[in-house]
Amino acid sequence: MLILENVDAHYGKSHVLHGVSIEVRAGEVVGLLGRNGVGKTTTLKAIMGMARRTGGRITFEGRDLQGVPPHGLAGLGIAWVPEERRIFRLLTVLENLRTGLDRPGVTQARRDGLLEKVYAYFPILKERRNQAGGTLSGGEQQMLAIARAMVLEPKIILLDEPTEGLMPRMVAQIQEIVHALHRDGVAILLVEQNVPLTLDAAGRVYIMEKGAVQHHASAAELRADQRVIHDYLGV
Amino acid sequence: MDQILIQTLHGLVNGMVLAMVASGLTLIFGIMDIVNFAHGDLLMLGAFVGASIVGVTGNYWLALVVAALVIAILGALLQATTLRPLIGRDPLTTILATFGVSLVIQKYALWQWGPSVRQISEPVRGNFTLFHLQYPWYRIATAILAGLIIAGLWLFLKYGKYGIWIRATTQDRVMAQAMGIPVPLVYTAVFAIGSAMAAASGVLFGPFAGVTQTMGFDFTLRAFIVVVVGGMGNLGGSILASIFVSLLESYAAIVVSPAQAVIVSFVVLVLTMLFRPTGLFVPTPK
Repeated sequence: MLILENVDAHYGKSHVLHGVSIEVRAGEVVGLLGRNGVGKTTTLKAIMGMARRTGGRITFEGRDLQGVPPHGLAGLGIAWVPEERRIFRLLTVLENLRTGLDRPGVTQARRDGLLEKVYAYFPILKERRNQAGGTLSGGEQQMLAIARAMVLEPKIILLDEPTEGLMPRMVAQIQEIVHALHRDGVAILLVEQNVPLTLDAAGRVYIMEKGAVQHHASAAELRADQRVIHDYLGV
Repeated sequence: MDQILIQTLHGLVNGMVLAMVASGLTLIFGIMDIVNFAHGDLLMLGAFVGASIVGVTGNYWLALVVAALVIAILGALLQATTLRPLIGRDPLTTILATFGVSLVIQKYALWQWGPSVRQISEPVRGNFTLFHLQYPWYRIATAILAGLIIAGLWLFLKYGKYGIWIRATTQDRVMAQAMGIPVPLVYTAVFAIGSAMAAASGVLFGPFAGVTQTMGFDFTLRAFIVVVVGGMGNLGGSILASIFVSLLESYAAIVVSPAQAVIVSFVVLVLTMLFRPTGLFVPTPK
């Protein structure tokens, strides 16, 4: 469904991605592991058209994303949950969700259904729906960022370090959500530093180093043989 | 005592018109980081369009609506042709571009309508007696109408679907795009709304002092002062600052001549820049 072929990307003059090739199939959870600064986040930004792509091809359901404007990706079915969460801080929780709900072609009934669905996953968001996004705790902001992506009814979610800096209880909850999304048939490209979570949630895993994919294996293989993980991630 | 009351009323009326001008300016700055030096000239152009329509039809309210619509369309075209290609460039380029647009509009107005002052007759006639003074009802009506228009803008931004798009884009344009909000279209729409607000202010202000092709600069300047004093891009702050500065000017006019009273707003500007550079009415940190 989502295919990156030999993608090169630059930030200013520095060459960040060197020929990254990754594939995510429909409904699949794929992990992207690596240390800090190896280009995982840049890979997601390249998909979202936010990093300057200087080579290679990115296609989604056979369509080249080159000519698609940044605001056109959501309509194709690609949602992004950035590492910094990027909640609209002065908008209330409900207004944050409305940025994704107020799309053309969404009937009132479907909007209500979508809201009910994310509120069922994250009851705390319903409780805080009239509170400004900036006043939420880190974990609540992460939930809102995921909920905001969910109301777009995406085919794939690009999930960037969702558990970073969260308490273990919150991490467990995020893990549950990833499983639930997978059951719903949503594909996920999961960027993480949390190895156990990634090996539990993902079917396949890519390991990046120095701006390139160095290793690719099924999560089952990596669970059985942790040496590769140790070599690349030092854990 | 009577004088203070009269000047308070006067300051409030001027403040409401200025607030309307400034809210368009601050909306545009907040979302696009564009310092629009042509804002006052759009106001002037709106006033001329309004004066022409009043001249032909005799209907002031029709003129108000049509002038706002015409200038909104012009603003949208301006944004799409002149400013959109400059997005992401050095802010200086947009300053120069809007300054150029300002000159073009002024010269066009001179060519089209000539250098003399045009009058727009007041749609609301009559005066009421305030102590020793005859105060025109029209000024009161203007303040109320300006207040209603600003309230309408606020309600639209707060509750409207597109209002939420505008606020989301103002806060984080990259994330707004990722949520599927067509940011280039939002920019154009905001510029059109700001232009319409300017044009409507021009038609409202027209009966006060007549319409000339040079009236725009004064409004640009005054609107800038209150936008900076209120905190760049902060709508509520700009409105409060408009009223605050206009009241101060009015009170100053009791002791010095009205021409000298204008100095007060510059003093407020300098003091604000020195001691509260983010604005007197600091917005919630983003």
